[in-house]
Amino acid sequence: MTSLAFIFLLALLPAQSTSRRYLPKAASNPVFGPREVYGLLKGSVTVKCFYPPTSVNRHDRKYWCKESTTGCTTIVSTSGYTSPGFQGRVSLIDYPLAKYFQINMTELTETDEGTYQCGVGINGRGLSHKVILDVSEGPHVPEGAELFYVKLHSTLTVSCSFGKDYESERKYLCKLDKGGCRTVVDTYQKYGEDYYGRVILSNTEPAGSFSVAITQMGWEDSGLYVCGAGVFGERGVSKELDVHVYEETKVPQGKTTIFGVKGSSVTFECHYEPLRMSSVKYWCKWRENGCAKIIDNAGFVSPMYEGRVAMYDNPQNNTYTIILNQLKDSDKGYYWCMTDKENEQQSSTELKIIEGQPGLEGKKEVEAQVGSRVDLTCSYPCKYYSYQKYWCKWTNTGCMPMPASDQRQTGMDVSCDTDNKTVILNFDSVAKTDQGWYWCGVKRNSLFGETMAVYLEVTGGSTADSGLDLLDIAEPPSHAEPPSHAEDNFIPQGRSYSGAAASKSSDESHGPNKLVLILTPIGAVLLILVAVFAVFKYRQLKRSDLVSVGSYRTNISMSDFESVKEYSASNNACVKETQETQIGGDEFIATEATPESAAETKKAKRSSKEDADLAYSAFLLTSTSIAQGGPGEDSAAPDACPPNWEGQI
Amino acid sequence: AFLTDCGIAYPVLAGYPQNSGDDEHVLVNNKCQCVTVTSRFVPSKDNPDEEILERNIRILVPLKARENISDPMSPLRTTFVYRMTELCRKCDPVEIELGGEIHQAQQSNFCDEPETCYTYDRDKCYTTTFPFLYHGEIRKVPAVLTPASCYAD
Repeated sequence: MTSLAFIFLLALLPAQSTSRRYLPKAASNPVFGPREVYGLLKGSVTVKCFYPPTSVNRHDRKYWCKESTTGCTTIVSTSGYTSPGFQGRVSLIDYPLAKYFQINMTELTETDEGTYQCGVGINGRGLSHKVILDVSEGPHVPEGAELFYVKLHSTLTVSCSFGKDYESERKYLCKLDKGGCRTVVDTYQKYGEDYYGRVILSNTEPAGSFSVAITQMGWEDSGLYVCGAGVFGERGVSKELDVHVYEETKVPQGKTTIFGVKGSSVTFECHYEPLRMSSVKYWCKWRENGCAKIIDNAGFVSPMYEGRVAMYDNPQNNTYTIILNQLKDSDKGYYWCMTDKENEQQSSTELKIIEGQPGLEGKKEVEAQVGSRVDLTCSYPCKYYSYQKYWCKWTNTGCMPMPASDQRQTGMDVSCDTDNKTVILNFDSVAKTDQGWYWCGVKRNSLFGETMAVYLEVTGGSTADSGLDLLDIAEPPSHAEPPSHAEDNFIPQGRSYSGAAASKSSDESHGPNKLVLILTPIGAVLLILVAVFAVFKYRQLKRSDLVSVGSYRTNISMSDFESVKEYSASNNACVKETQETQIGGDEFIATEATPESAAETKKAKRSSKEDADLAYSAFLLTSTSIAQGGPGEDSAAPDACPPNWEGQI
Repeated sequence: AFLTDCGIAYPVLAGYPQNSGDDEHVLVNNKCQCVTVTSRFVPSKDNPDEEILERNIRILVPLKARENISDPMSPLRTTFVYRMTELCRKCDPVEIELGGEIHQAQQSNFCDEPETCYTYDRDKCYTTTFPFLYHGEIRKVPAVLTPASCYAD
């Protein structure tokens, strides 16, 4: 009952799916060799037997045995045995790295005719291949088929040459099956159904020769093929080929189909043989009349793909990566990784375009004036939270990385915020040479992920505005330091003066002159301060014996000290300085205003005499602390807040 | 010749022609229990024009196997149980496409269950220890049961 149910269910399966998922029984035997070999009497034959180069196969026993009614009797094996009847005329040599072992039989006799087996392991266990040996008198011996042993999903490269006579004839490759020979490819651009996009026929030197490359070899591709010039079965010459596909590991190697989201980007990986590092590698799109070159590693980029494609070499893994972005529906098709040397591994991948939402978003076209400040933003979704993000400038030879800032808070957060996930590339002053394509991309462990392309167009503009902007941005940093200096607090007014002077200087001139103009007023201020300090010190020396510091101190309590602060406008202003001053931005302009107002209020408070007396006592207090050497480190406020007597001057 | 490389199976003369011409496909190739299942379409006996699916199940019973294949001193195995659900289990990860990305997925459940093997898997190395008398002392010496599979390279 269950079997009926099974049959019913399985009958509904389309034949196509079975052929893709399950290997045919004929292909399940991994040991491969010739089907029939032909030898002459007293002549010799060579049999090549292929096996998958797994560790166990390379180390296991190899044998050559003759089939008989009781089983398969060993003639020669790698265990060191040679059958008595064959002593001296048979040899078996294993070439594990080349994936085959070779049997050589000489001095053939008629009794040698029969069915043999070349195999791995123990006789009769099934890991073997049947070979029929035909011994004839001659003189002509039919040529056996050429053997090809290819790995699953890799590329088969076949070359056939027939001589100058067939130079202008139709060349073809067809697969032998029940009904005849089905065309795989021919010089008239006819492609077999299963081979569309994955086969390329190219004419080679010398005349009358050609080579065929079939990528993505599957289980169904095992079998007999015929390559020829003319028409199969009717005219011309041909050669038989025996192809067998084997599987080495269960791990899938390379992708056969890649899906790209419309508008987003895809990454292709091409592997190459390590020895051939010097050859030119290129990437092309398969077309019926050939493969259209898109990009190569010598700097060529097809004009239609400008800004869309880049190639990255990774010599450690013997791979190179191709990124293609701004995907459109017309991009679907088959793409080949090729080299200019013929006998190298060429591979292909199918690209399919699907609808979806690209991960990276941002403005794709940005226009800016020369000299202005430009920000190229790229927002990324939460799935790229842990990836490396980068900006790069696109050129024909690749995409050059550029320094960019990631707006996300770096730290120990495990969650992913929906805002602030942007990477910004900014130009302080954009120039005409900055025009071009820029890519924003993500990378993980040196594997390239999604990218987004932005075109920056720079239009000519005026230069005067740019100078002003530059200075405005430059000012805050230079003024951020003063609060820590004593000088500025001596003359808050002075600082505002220097600020005003700087802005005035910026109005008049720009460029290198601004530094000189800012420094000159500061220098003048410094000189004045030094002079004042010298005078003050001199006066203090004179007065010191008149005032008893100790007795004066006892009359003053902490509350007085506090009130002193209130009356001393300079103290207030100074406290504000240390709290509010920030580097850069508009806030600095706000703090500049307060000292001015503080200075004004100070002046207003000077009017009453009592206030003046109290202010003077405060001055004396602070002056003693300075005379004693000034405990600068302990309290920033007193130290930074010298007496306000400057205002009186 | 069909693939019958299951460890200690009895040698069996293969009865399948190499180029059968039929599109026979392999569904199961279980090396642990030495079972292969293949399927093909054959004309129905009742109605020759109709094609029905035929499944061939081939079981090689290793009569000389031990109950514990890693221990040659264990008794001979006398009970062999074969379950289609266990044989048809596909535990190797397969690539599938989901939302534009390729993911690797396992097609069956209960893949973590330990399976009792009746024969050796050629790609695995099986070892055991045996008592070795050396200088009057009995030592447990490690020995390899499947030499070809135990090379490091």
